[in-house]
Amino acid sequence: MFADGLFLVFAVLAVLGAAGLILFRHPMNGAMSFVVTLIALAGLYALLSAKLIFALQLIVYAGAIMSLIVFIIMFLNIQPSDLPKEETKLLYIIGSMIAVFPIGMFLVKIVKSLPKSSTEIIGNNFGGVKQVGLLLFKDWLVPFEIVSILLLVSLIGAVILAGKREAVK
Amino acid sequence: MGQSVNYLGLIPLFPLLGAVLIGLLHVFFSTKVKFSEKFYGILACVGPVLSFILALKVFIALKALPPESRYLSHKAFTWFSVGDLHIDMGFLADPLSCLMLLFVTLIGTLIHVYSIGYMGGDKNYGKFFAYMNLFLGSMLVLVLGDSPVVMFVGWEGVGLCSYLLISFYSEDTSNVLAGNKAFIVNRIGDLGFVLGMAFLFWGIGASGFDFLSLKANVGNLTPAVALAVCLLLFVGATGKSAQIPLYVWLPDAMAGPTPVSALIHAATMVTAGVYMVARFSFIYSTVELAGNIVAWVGILTALLAAIFGMFQDDIKKVLAYSTVSQLGYMFAGVGVAAYSAGIFHVFTHAFFKALLFLGAGSVIYALHHQQNIWKMGGLKAKMPKTYLTMMIGAFALAGCPPFSGFFSKDEILYSALATGHYGIWMVGVLVAGMTAYYTFRMIFVVFHGTPRDQEAFDHAHESPSVMTVPLIILAVGALFAGFLNLPAIFGGSQMVTHWLAPSLSEHHPHASHFLEILAIGTSVAAFAIGIKIAYSKFGQGAPEPEFKGFAEFAYHKFYVDELYHAIIVQPYKAIGSIIWKTLEPNVTDSPVKAASKLYMVIGTAFKVFQVGYVRIYAIYMILGLSLMSLFLSQSLN
Amino acid sequence: MIHNYLFLSIILFCLGIVGVISRRNVFTVFMSIELMLNAANLAFVAFSRIHQSMDGHVLAMMVMAVAAAEAALALAVVILLHKHKSKLDTNVFSLLKG
Repeated sequence: MFADGLFLVFAVLAVLGAAGLILFRHPMNGAMSFVVTLIALAGLYALLSAKLIFALQLIVYAGAIMSLIVFIIMFLNIQPSDLPKEETKLLYIIGSMIAVFPIGMFLVKIVKSLPKSSTEIIGNNFGGVKQVGLLLFKDWLVPFEIVSILLLVSLIGAVILAGKREAVK
Repeated sequence: MGQSVNYLGLIPLFPLLGAVLIGLLHVFFSTKVKFSEKFYGILACVGPVLSFILALKVFIALKALPPESRYLSHKAFTWFSVGDLHIDMGFLADPLSCLMLLFVTLIGTLIHVYSIGYMGGDKNYGKFFAYMNLFLGSMLVLVLGDSPVVMFVGWEGVGLCSYLLISFYSEDTSNVLAGNKAFIVNRIGDLGFVLGMAFLFWGIGASGFDFLSLKANVGNLTPAVALAVCLLLFVGATGKSAQIPLYVWLPDAMAGPTPVSALIHAATMVTAGVYMVARFSFIYSTVELAGNIVAWVGILTALLAAIFGMFQDDIKKVLAYSTVSQLGYMFAGVGVAAYSAGIFHVFTHAFFKALLFLGAGSVIYALHHQQNIWKMGGLKAKMPKTYLTMMIGAFALAGCPPFSGFFSKDEILYSALATGHYGIWMVGVLVAGMTAYYTFRMIFVVFHGTPRDQEAFDHAHESPSVMTVPLIILAVGALFAGFLNLPAIFGGSQMVTHWLAPSLSEHHPHASHFLEILAIGTSVAAFAIGIKIAYSKFGQGAPEPEFKGFAEFAYHKFYVDELYHAIIVQPYKAIGSIIWKTLEPNVTDSPVKAASKLYMVIGTAFKVFQVGYVRIYAIYMILGLSLMSLFLSQSLN
Repeated sequence: MIHNYLFLSIILFCLGIVGVISRRNVFTVFMSIELMLNAANLAFVAFSRIHQSMDGHVLAMMVMAVAAAEAALALAVVILLHKHKSKLDTNVFSLLKG
């Protein structure tokens, strides 16, 4: 009962945050509402007994990625005149919602065909660090290593892309 | 059944290999390493000599066989097999092709030897011998072919080599034009030949398209198709053997070197048409009308060419028209169904005409390429060997007994008389007289009297022995070859006619002795009258004449070339120009251009979608995705 | 009921698509993409809860790691674009125009 209420609150917050993201003109405002969405999602993960993912969502997503984005937004020192004039924003949004509607309906139809199951919170032996760790380093070892290489590559790439280039200029 | 032998395929192969070898040596080494001319010359003569030795072997092998099965055959490989048409590259040596083989290889060898001397100093020495060997190989394929298609391969090959050799001195455009003319006129005849072959195949080709099968099945041919085949094949012969209306290339072909004129345009290639009619005698003998047409075209050509020959001033042109005229005789012979007489005249003509051409070449060589007879004279003192051999050749050509030309020409005239072709006989006797006249006109003007060009005369000298020895050998042939076919009236046994009998479908007419004596008498009388007139006009040396009236008309060859040019060449050029300038740009080019424009228009229409904004591309993706999910949700229902 | 979570994931995903194709601001587009990734994460975790297996959680972690790497690189590109034209409008960059 309590869980259902919490679910509703978090769901409404998430949707409102997403709507804010796509409606606000200044990206800073959009970023802030997106953070709200991320935190709401973290709550939803907790309701799904995903303890590690809940923590990681807050630390990595809302904490690291969003702060990086906000930092860059502030770094570029955006003035209102820099922002694009999007007169037709509403028109496009309504048009895209109509275009996206069939996709959504199709997915809903698929989801409806799944069997029902409960969402009680399970405490032990599910969703914790130990379980994730066991799986990560046994069955998913190779993807884990590849992801680490990926992170290295993106690190190098970011440094090269945004670093000073006297010779090329 | 005849035998199958392997060496038959080698006979054309040796000269062809020689051609390839000499050609490659000339192409790759003529600028770097100078091979001596002797080297090329000896290499070039190897092929013909080997072919001659093999030809002798064939002759000996054929003599050993009984007359009913007197042929050797060899199938080198299967060329192609389509439906009913199965063609092997096969060779057939029966008495007819054996006779042709012997004199083609002998005279070919002699002329190759002669050319070693004549072409000395020419910078394309190696190329010349490569072409000559190629020609000899093609001619041997023609003669030995066991099917009309293989014969046609040789036919085309000799046409090609004729073109290459006529245009040999290619720095002068007129020589190249003469070569073009020869090839194009030949081609027109070849169309007739191909059509004739097609009709023949249509008629009886389903059960085998080689000569032996065709001969066996000729009874199945309807008269109309047989007539069509005979006439169409004869069109091919008029092109190759220079009869009316396609003779115009042969006088122009004298632009080539003299050995070429001797070999190709006197002894061998031009006789291919006569050989072809004799080879197809099994069809010609069933259609008398075709034979009559062949005979009349032949004898009229003989008359026309003799008229022209009487007024020419170039020594080679006189001999060229003489060749056309004698070819007319040969066709008259095969036209009246005296196939062996025609072939025998081919045989003797090869000797004396090659002799006359090589002798003329000797004179031209001595006078440093002077060809106008009105600049010669009195050369008998300076060039005795040439003079003597040319006299022998001239007597043979004019038909003086006991030289070879008399026997062969008389055989033809007698056959015309005996089969009732009195018109042909009378024209033939008239032409015999004219032949004697123009031949001795040439001899007297060139060798007798006083020199007309003293300076050239002083420099003249007898040719080297590499050139005079072939002349002597050919003179022996011109003198004695006639005795090979001595008719019964002179006590002979007509060896050649009997030898050729298994190959030809010939019926020998039995005419009275009176007609035989009449024929002999009239031809001897014609010879005597002709040489008398020539001696009286030119024997003591005569100045260059001025032609008026009919003589001038004949000197310009009745303006036939100009007529052809106006009637045929100019309209073709006009049509071609119309097609090029108006038809092609509008009819063929514009659809192609329109097609390419169409694609450009389609591309431009689609270019609208390439806006360059990634957001729009993302919209395209989402639109596609939503369409897809619409479809999928329909199917999920 | 677990379906609610999946419906929510679908709604967030569709909102993310709408944001990508209807906004011209570079940052908004980028964050809409992150929104889509998060919706996918939610679906992963929900399914993992249904089947009571941990694979979904591991995959969700992978997605987060990839999202982090991608964020770094995308922002580097945004900085470069801003240096080039000092505009944040995606419509300005139209060199692909055919």
